[in-house]
Amino acid sequence: MSRTSLSRTLWSRFAVTAAAALLAVAGCSAPGADKDSTGKNSSGPIKIAIIDAQSGQLSSLGAWELKGAKLAVEEWNKAGGISGRQIQLDVFDDQGDPTVGTNLARKIASEGYIAMIGTAESAVTIAMAPILQQNQIPNIASGQSPGMVALKSPFLFLNGPTSTTYDETLAKYIVETKGVKNIAMITNNGSYGKGEHDAFTKALAARSITPVADQVVTTDQKDFSAALTTIRQKNPQIIFLGAEEVESGLIVKQARDLGITATFAGAAPQGTPVFRDTAGVTAVEGTLVSTPYMSNDLNDKTKAFAAAYKAAYNEDAELHGAKAYDGAQILLNALKSSNVATGKALADAIRATKRDGLLGSFAYDGTGVGIFATTIGTITGGKLVPAS
Amino acid sequence: MQIFFQTLIGGVSLGAVYALVALGFSLVYRTMGLVNFSHGNVVMIGAYMASTFYLTAKLPFALATVIAMAVTGLIGVIIERVLRPLENKDFDLMLIGTIGFGIVLEALATLVWGATGRAVPSPVPAAPLDLFGIKVRTYDLVVLAIAAAATALLMLFLQRTKRGAAMQAVAMDHEAATAVGIHVGRSNAIAFVLGAALAALAGSLVGPLLYVSPTMGGTLGIKGFAGAILGGFGSIPGAIAGGIAIGVLDSFAAGHFQGYSELVTFLVFTILIVIRPTGIFGERTVNRA
Repeated sequence: MSRTSLSRTLWSRFAVTAAAALLAVAGCSAPGADKDSTGKNSSGPIKIAIIDAQSGQLSSLGAWELKGAKLAVEEWNKAGGISGRQIQLDVFDDQGDPTVGTNLARKIASEGYIAMIGTAESAVTIAMAPILQQNQIPNIASGQSPGMVALKSPFLFLNGPTSTTYDETLAKYIVETKGVKNIAMITNNGSYGKGEHDAFTKALAARSITPVADQVVTTDQKDFSAALTTIRQKNPQIIFLGAEEVESGLIVKQARDLGITATFAGAAPQGTPVFRDTAGVTAVEGTLVSTPYMSNDLNDKTKAFAAAYKAAYNEDAELHGAKAYDGAQILLNALKSSNVATGKALADAIRATKRDGLLGSFAYDGTGVGIFATTIGTITGGKLVPAS
Repeated sequence: MQIFFQTLIGGVSLGAVYALVALGFSLVYRTMGLVNFSHGNVVMIGAYMASTFYLTAKLPFALATVIAMAVTGLIGVIIERVLRPLENKDFDLMLIGTIGFGIVLEALATLVWGATGRAVPSPVPAAPLDLFGIKVRTYDLVVLAIAAAATALLMLFLQRTKRGAAMQAVAMDHEAATAVGIHVGRSNAIAFVLGAALAALAGSLVGPLLYVSPTMGGTLGIKGFAGAILGGFGSIPGAIAGGIAIGVLDSFAAGHFQGYSELVTFLVFTILIVIRPTGIFGERTVNRA
């Protein structure tokens, strides 16, 4: 057999195998595993799904989120559950992939889950939202892209502020408090990075500032020499980062190697240990972070949460775990106040829930956003402390 | 001008890693005619092994790398051993088998080391060199030197030793090689072991440059594979040239096309392959199967 025809057969066979495998995956929603699968029935455990990346590049987000949500559910279960029923929290892995996410949305709808926690990736949440809306499953998501709000789904709620809030606070601090006008930007073209790019550019424009450099990178990029050298020539005082944890860390590490001494600034990803460790503690010194969760020592509530988190998982709590904990508490409180309602009634109950949580005071408006404030911190000696 | 040279340097240093990955692809292909699709995942296992021995067991980086190469080489033996019954029977199955092994390795890494991944601090903490305003990381120079040394050693082995010559013979015509008494299975096993060890070398070198996680094999594997094809699949110098070319192409595309760089890189790659399907060193490509 000649090489070309061999490889052609090969690829066609590979395609057939792959298609078969996909069908198998799609079809294996455990037939008969759940007798009351259609039943949003009123006995037995209350079924809540948590969907997040448990594998792949974004799995650290998924792991933190699971830990936070689980902590809240265990607390309620220990206290006797809701209306005498235990809460069953089942984990599904979306691999950070919108296609997998939509499959899982159909799966939880057919298996009788009444609410969903996650995902931490805006793109996946946006892909799943129409299916969840159609099946009337309320979803408390952890992303921060304004794109989620734009969907106007009455079943989608955020457990934190959107990029608009993060970046408005950050721009205000940089421009008005610090008086810095010489600002460069480097963002990625993924869902998160795009949201950050637009929100920060808008916040700067409102203060009549145009960034001196506006570099866009891909989510998969590993070498940032070209973008960073361009930025270095403009000699900015502050460089805004709109990329996830690992990529941001690589950007800062390479920037320091290229002799860039400017301060970096960003939002949620820049406050995480993954960002710090990827770049190195000395490289991130002084980084400005816009965050709704400054530290575990903020007040009594955060201290209690951090202690419980440490006891359960033997690691320090951080923003994403805290957000997921708040989100899960809001959902559980709504379930309690509505006497385990489902569908639209549950969504309305979530919207009516007020919570004085770890991130601050939640009060949902019509857009599904419940909190509108962040504070600015600086990374000092590897730890996030309130900025002066 | 400064941007041009800085971009070039960034591209070359990552390209050296792609070149090492491409070498492993090419070595197995020229010997067996098989594309080892698990190669990217073997790179990832190598990166985890090296970082574990370096960070957890606190061994020197060089020693950690050598141990990682040995352990990963063993994984190469296992993959070849499992797939050997298929050789000369069903080649397609063998190829699918390597894809399967890749998935298994990724799942295993998630089980053993967790899904979060880890950062590896640079073993060469010296400040970057400054050449007329162009910064050169000392670690990049180390990577380039090691990649060059590994290539030289591999060429020496293939051309100057009896076993290497036997592998060359199998690559040219495995039936004739069998006829003169060369053990084809053993030759294949050596190719897999060397390929896996090269993967581990690439993985351990890339750890401090990037971030070690169970999914890191994907991008590295694809870029390395593209490098091998561009250089002329199966050719050793081709793998080096192709790997570095992909790294440089990627860097310049990132500089000029920003968010669309990935698209441009592979578009250029496709055009180059259409113009010259055999790659840069194509005429030497071994054709088996």
